[in-house]
Amino acid sequence: MRTLKIVMSLSLAGMSVPLFAGHAEDHWPEPIKSYRTGQVLFDRLEVTRTDNDEDLIVWDMLAWYGGDRNRIYFKSEGENRSDDGEPAELESAELLASRLIAPFWEIQGGLGTRGSIASGAERENYLVFSLFGMAPYRFEMDNSLTVNEDGDIAVNIEAEYDIRLSQLSYLQPRLEMGAALTDAEEYDRPSGFNNVRMGLRYRYELSRELAPYIGVYWSRALGDKADRVRDQGGDESEIGVVVGVRMWF
Amino acid sequence: MEKPIAEGRRRFIKSAIGTASALALAKIAPAWAYPMGRSYGEVIKADNPVDLHIRRENLNIGGKIGRPITINGNMPGPLIRLKEGQRARLNVTNALDEDTSIHWHGIILPENMDGVPGVSFPGIKPGETFHYEYDVQQSGTYWYHSHSGLQEQLGHLGPLVIDPGDGDIGADREHVIILSDWTFEDPYEVFRNLTVAEGYYNYQQRTLGDTLADIRSQGLAKTWEERSMWNRMRMSARDLLDVTGSTYTYLMNGRDNATNWTALYKPGEKIRLRIINGSAMSFFDFRIPGLEMTVVSADGQPVKPVTVDEFRIGVAETYDVIVTPKGDRPYTLFAESLDRSGYVRGTLSTELGQEAIVPELRPVPERGMAAMGMSHEMSGMDMESSGRDKSGMDGHHDMPEGQGAKMAMASQRPSAPDLGVEHAPGGHGPGAAMIARQPVSRLNEPGVGLEEATHRVLVYGDLIGAHPWPDEREPVRDIELHLTGNMEKYMWSFDGLKFTEVDGPVEFHYGERLRLIMVNDTMMDHPIHLHGMWMELENGQYPRPRKHTISLKPSEVVSLQISADAPGSWAFHCHLLYHMKAGMFRVVNVS
Repeated sequence: MRTLKIVMSLSLAGMSVPLFAGHAEDHWPEPIKSYRTGQVLFDRLEVTRTDNDEDLIVWDMLAWYGGDRNRIYFKSEGENRSDDGEPAELESAELLASRLIAPFWEIQGGLGTRGSIASGAERENYLVFSLFGMAPYRFEMDNSLTVNEDGDIAVNIEAEYDIRLSQLSYLQPRLEMGAALTDAEEYDRPSGFNNVRMGLRYRYELSRELAPYIGVYWSRALGDKADRVRDQGGDESEIGVVVGVRMWF
Repeated sequence: MEKPIAEGRRRFIKSAIGTASALALAKIAPAWAYPMGRSYGEVIKADNPVDLHIRRENLNIGGKIGRPITINGNMPGPLIRLKEGQRARLNVTNALDEDTSIHWHGIILPENMDGVPGVSFPGIKPGETFHYEYDVQQSGTYWYHSHSGLQEQLGHLGPLVIDPGDGDIGADREHVIILSDWTFEDPYEVFRNLTVAEGYYNYQQRTLGDTLADIRSQGLAKTWEERSMWNRMRMSARDLLDVTGSTYTYLMNGRDNATNWTALYKPGEKIRLRIINGSAMSFFDFRIPGLEMTVVSADGQPVKPVTVDEFRIGVAETYDVIVTPKGDRPYTLFAESLDRSGYVRGTLSTELGQEAIVPELRPVPERGMAAMGMSHEMSGMDMESSGRDKSGMDGHHDMPEGQGAKMAMASQRPSAPDLGVEHAPGGHGPGAAMIARQPVSRLNEPGVGLEEATHRVLVYGDLIGAHPWPDEREPVRDIELHLTGNMEKYMWSFDGLKFTEVDGPVEFHYGERLRLIMVNDTMMDHPIHLHGMWMELENGQYPRPRKHTISLKPSEVVSLQISADAPGSWAFHCHLLYHMKAGMFRVVNVS
């Protein structure tokens, strides 16, 4: 991890895109070079125990590379249910181009895929547009709109807020909501609000880069989606505890 | 009081320890920083020509091995002592494996000798020697440093003192004090941390506990009003310095607190202290508890004497002060970082191995509404609210001037001209997270954390040039530049555009007298440095003080008169190293 960090730091030193010569002689170096860097951030990498005694491994990560206005992002979320013998389930894997449009907001667009990571599995591919950044009062937000190959439109909202308990520890409420604008029968997304998930976690920074956490969450299917879950004999709401780590390099 | 025997014994032990550590230190402190001062005849008088060798090598820094850039084996580099009227000849040899340079900070010289790669020359390649040569037309306290990459952070810097033509320093003895900030981290890693993780080095943020304490002391409504303003703007009132004592070891002449750099004096002497802030990112508040200081020079240029108990020194600024120690006792030379995350101390004493009480760090200050440019109507003294613990503002209570006297003094100070400042309708784009809606002159404010000090703190409004400057024409043209930033993305710029995004230099017409108006649209203090020409600060005084580096407080507007008398291209930038690296840099072209 440290090696990677150094490699990234060095790439800062080496990057140079000559745009403007502020000097008389063309063969002189630029006094200030433009720079690019990147980061890989696992916001959530956790083990979950649900109230149905299921164990899951969940990840929620992003990686970016670029300057301060234009960046490339890769984002992925997913989970793997242990003991079910099935491969992990991708909630999303997206590759996006990002542009800073306001001091705290990036607009992003790209392609994504959802479904089982098993080879040969039928996955849902989609276009994605995101508004990514920090809202007033310091809410970290990632709002995205996706359109799949059948034209189904879905919206996903994620918001996190850090309450600083000390210089190293935080309490973080988290809210995630999914809605569909069109009926997507094939992918089990009836139109309307589909689900809501609220979490609260306490994390402690061993360093800025490495912060283990514990937390709880509550999630619930909504509207037609909830009816469907009930019809299939499932539980429309779920409570779980998580143990994980937030880390970046 | 102490018993005589105990005292004698303690003094013996102390001096034994002190001498031992002083000897151990001799190896790590630069040769010129020997404590005897100038009148002991130990001054390293620069030979002519001067040979400087730039290397990267292991060195003991505060008891730990670091790998700084050394100049002639020292970090900081040697004290270069020139004389007004001489021709300076300096040969700089690069023994690094990358390009380097030396910029002579504050020196008036030809464009091609200024030492900024890409602006004044191509830089010095590994293995090459560059020959600097220029006529020395000024005197005073200056410094020199690399203008390549982030080499300054590795200690590529040193003091430069120019004796006046008549050799009179106005004191019996002098000491040079160069302050710097050292980190054992790679500077590029520091820069990346700032870029990818806002607040990486800030371990003094507000917590839930602070908010609860505020609610208890001032009620929910007022707390909400204050906090919501900051939170709505997504900014922190404790965003004071980007890089802090959490990674920095602050150094005085290359020594840390434990190794205690010591300056000697003889009772009754007048001593000139030449204080240089050679750090990469740190503003310092400098004081000598129990001793008043008479400021006689700012940025190397003489000012009418003004007596203070403390002054804030921005990065790259210099101040000369005259002190007259009373009796035969040690004094602490105390430089506290603006954000109170650390300090460096040295000692002024009559013999080696002595030390005086070291003050405690003062509470972490918070920026007030004035920082946002939102409190035009507020009176001068409470512009920024200060530390949480208002009672414990000061470590020493024997300061002569009371609050009332201070208020009176402040109101007597002339004020800077009223400038109408207008922002572009759309702001400055994503590179600027805020604009100061009502920027004001803050030249008579001591700055964040010092507002409620009951002793005398220097403000820019106190500075009066010692004599008029040769060009007394009225400016014929105004140039306005805004200091802009986006802390979240670590973008720093002028007018919202980084150096790599602007399409040309700032044009000065050769021979003209112009007024440079700067507006700080950020929440940080910035020391802005113009190469090649003096900036006369319009602080309402006459003669105006002359500066090479001017520090702007958040939401402050300042105006400076400049004679565009130096043809060529000159660097103009924020002297916070990582702000410059991020793009807060322009080229000024005089033609």
